[in-house]
Amino acid sequence: MRKFYLIGFALLLFFDTIGQTSFKLTANHSEPLEANIDWLIRIFTNPFVYIAIFAYISTFFTWMVLLKKAPVGPAFAASHLEIVTVMFVSIWVFNEEITLMRSIGAALIVLGIIFLALAEKEINQRQEISK
Amino acid sequence: MSSLVITLWILNVFFDTIGQVAFKYAAINPSNRDGWHYWSDLFRNHWLWLGIVSYIAEFLLWLAFLTLVPLSQGVLIGSINIITIMIVGRLLFKELLTRYRIIGMILITAGVICVGIS
Repeated sequence: MRKFYLIGFALLLFFDTIGQTSFKLTANHSEPLEANIDWLIRIFTNPFVYIAIFAYISTFFTWMVLLKKAPVGPAFAASHLEIVTVMFVSIWVFNEEITLMRSIGAALIVLGIIFLALAEKEINQRQEISK
Repeated sequence: MSSLVITLWILNVFFDTIGQVAFKYAAINPSNRDGWHYWSDLFRNHWLWLGIVSYIAEFLLWLAFLTLVPLSQGVLIGSINIITIMIVGRLLFKELLTRYRIIGMILITAGVICVGIS
């Protein structure tokens, strides 16, 4: 059972990260940004946009399977923690700079997500008791 | 951040929130849950279509947004949608605002502000 969660959460993070990375690659390839049909053509003739769509659909199905069994608190947190993995990929693939301010912001957001996950757990327990 | 980036960011969060709310309404809409009827009811549900249209809009807005901001910054300030969904959940679906939830919301908002001004 533990293996099921580990693989499930790892897959969720993996697909989410691949999805966001492909989004950024598509965005870079379809520059310049214009509000016209040419921009849309540039997007949909780029292979990365299809990887992004595929990753999104995979994330959705992984999430659905996971949600059937996983406890709601950790599941909630796991579904949002892709921001951490995406940050590392951004440094590696796009040579982005993670400034001090951005690191502090990321830490606060992650901490906030952990609190929301605790809240989900607490609300779930309360509902279990009242049942 | 330029005003175009901020506009794209707000529109993104707006359509994401509309999409999630629409899907929630589609999900809780009572329908005949019997094989073929379930699917035909679901696809005649206006909320479902509003959700799909919002998600397509969000898809394009997110691409436009990422053209202008670094990915690491983009995903971080994009997490503000957690906050808007919770506020809308409270207003429309009477979902609970517990102490932990409020602390979490404050931390995320503070984090987004830090990343936004960086």
